[in-house]
Formats: sequence, C-alpha cells, structure tokens
Amino acid sequence: MSEHPNQMTCEEAFRRLDDFIDRQLIPEEMRLVQEHLAVCAQCTREFNFELSVINGVRDKVSRIAAPSDLLARIASSLTRAGQEGPAGPEGGG
Amino acid sequence: MAALQEADGCVEPAVLPLETTVPPDPRAVSETSRDTAGFETLLSAVVNAAYGYAFRLAHNRSDAEDLVQEAALLAFRGFGSFEPGSNFKGWFFKILTNCYRSKYRRERRRPTVDFDDTPDLYLYARSGEVGFPTDGPDPAAALLDTLGTERVVAALEQLPDEYRIVSTLYFMQDFSYEEIAHTLDCPVGTVRSRLHRGRKILQKALWQAAEEAGVIHARSADL
Repeated sequence: MSEHPNQMTCEEAFRRLDDFIDRQLIPEEMRLVQEHLAVCAQCTREFNFELSVINGVRDKVSRIAAPSDLLARIASSLTRAGQEGPAGPEGGG
Repeated sequence: MAALQEADGCVEPAVLPLETTVPPDPRAVSETSRDTAGFETLLSAVVNAAYGYAFRLAHNRSDAEDLVQEAALLAFRGFGSFEPGSNFKGWFFKILTNCYRSKYRRERRRPTVDFDDTPDLYLYARSGEVGFPTDGPDPAAALLDTLGTERVVAALEQLPDEYRIVSTLYFMQDFSYEEIAHTLDCPVGTVRSRLHRGRKILQKALWQAAEEAGVIHARSADL
C-alpha cells in the first residue's frame, strides 16, 4: 500500500488499470502508476494477472487464416464490378 | 465448440447479388483497371485479418467469406472516398462492420452469461480460490491453456454484440481505442467503457467455461 502523499493509492491505481495496460494514460499518469506498482506487490500481482489474461486471450483468438482462394474470388468479383462501371463514394469512408 | 463445428460443416455460401445501381460508364474501364490494381494491393494486405474478424462475428466460414466479399465490393465501389495514405485497414473494417450490422441486425443473440454483477478482477479472485496461479511471469496462462483455444473463443462469442465487436477488434486485431472508435463510428469514451465491461464479462464467461469443462473441479480436487 502506498503511503507517500505524492504517490497513487491502490484505489487510484486500480481505476487506471485498463488505461495503463493499453497505454492510454498521459505520461505523468503512467509514471505515477509505475511508481505505485514499484512499491505495491499486491497491485503488481493484480495488474500482471490482468495483462496475462489479455495476452492469453489475444494469443488464442487471433489465429485464423482466410481461405487461400478468397482473394482470387474477390478479385474476380471486382473485375465484374469494374466492367459494370464505377460508383460514387459510399460505404464507410 | 459450436462455432468451429459449424465452420467445419458449413453449407455453400449464399450468392450475394452484385449491386448495379450505377449504369456502366464506357470511359471508366481504364480508370477502373488502375483503381482495381491499387485496391487489390491494399486489400491483400488486410484480407486475412478481415476474414478472421468476420469469422469471429459471423461464427462460420461461409458467412465470414460472404461478409468479406460484400465488404470488398462496397469498398471497391467507394474507393474514391478513401484518402490515399490513410489507414486502409481501419477504413475497410468500418465497411465490414457495417455489412455485419446490416446483415445480422435482426439476429439478437441472447447472452448466456449473467454479467450484471461481475466484480473487477473476477478471474484473479476465482483463480486464487481454487489454486490456479495468480502470480509469476504469466499467471493466467495455466487457466487459459487448460481451457484451450476453442473454449476461449466460445467465451468471447458469448458477449453481447456491443461488447463482442469492440472486444474482437481489441483482442484479435490489436486495434487501439482510437482505431476501434473510428471503425465503429463512436467516441473513444464509448470504446473504453465497452472494453472495460467486455473484459469483465469475458472473465466471467471464461470461468463459467472452466467450470462446465470440469477444469475447476479437477483443480480443486488436486489441492
């Protein structure tokens, strides 16, 4: 637990857990969280566990390869569409 | 796992009608050819990621292929609005997400996990209770590896759509908050809150999957 007045408390650090892991904090807040973790074994354990879950899930859900002929089939449909003529902007732009 | 079983036994993909709302322009052939090559180059760099994302959204190969093809066609037709040098992947994923939403708008999936009361650090707390590691260089690996890829994927797929889409982009594509916000056309704050909640729901779903698979019981018995 933090006792220094300029350091974050466990609660303050925990509120920033997600943003810290995802590097969404401003540099000053990143530094304060890091300083808290340096002196708080319990928060370090919790932060490491959350990061481990995220990395583990990432590792398991990201292994899908497209069928080898998908791009060729798309190219074929684009060729057909091209022969029909272009259209104006649409979609997600 | 249901989604992969479906994938293995998928039916022939439905043929999507090509949209031909704009009449052919004879002058367009050469211009279109040039655009087609450029478009295909950009698409080829993201097609695997796009298919993986579509597969996680649609749950089977056939629908995933349809989604990517439909999105590719729409993107190609709107290629003029793509700003050269900007993020093609984000732009294409936005179109792909919109295709998914419009196609599956009516298919409201009922969540199988009651997530309203999920506390923070759910997996950490429950793991500690039954003797799974909560410390060390990669503490969650023991639980996740025991669960296996199929159950982890199934847990992610149980999330309600609003959390599942954000979480899929986050976990699978490694998108930043800003990229997710751009892809889904929503504020970064919305991404942040949905991701936070999505993670909590996912942790509960993972634990539920471990219980159903007998992983927890076996671990407790070993203690």
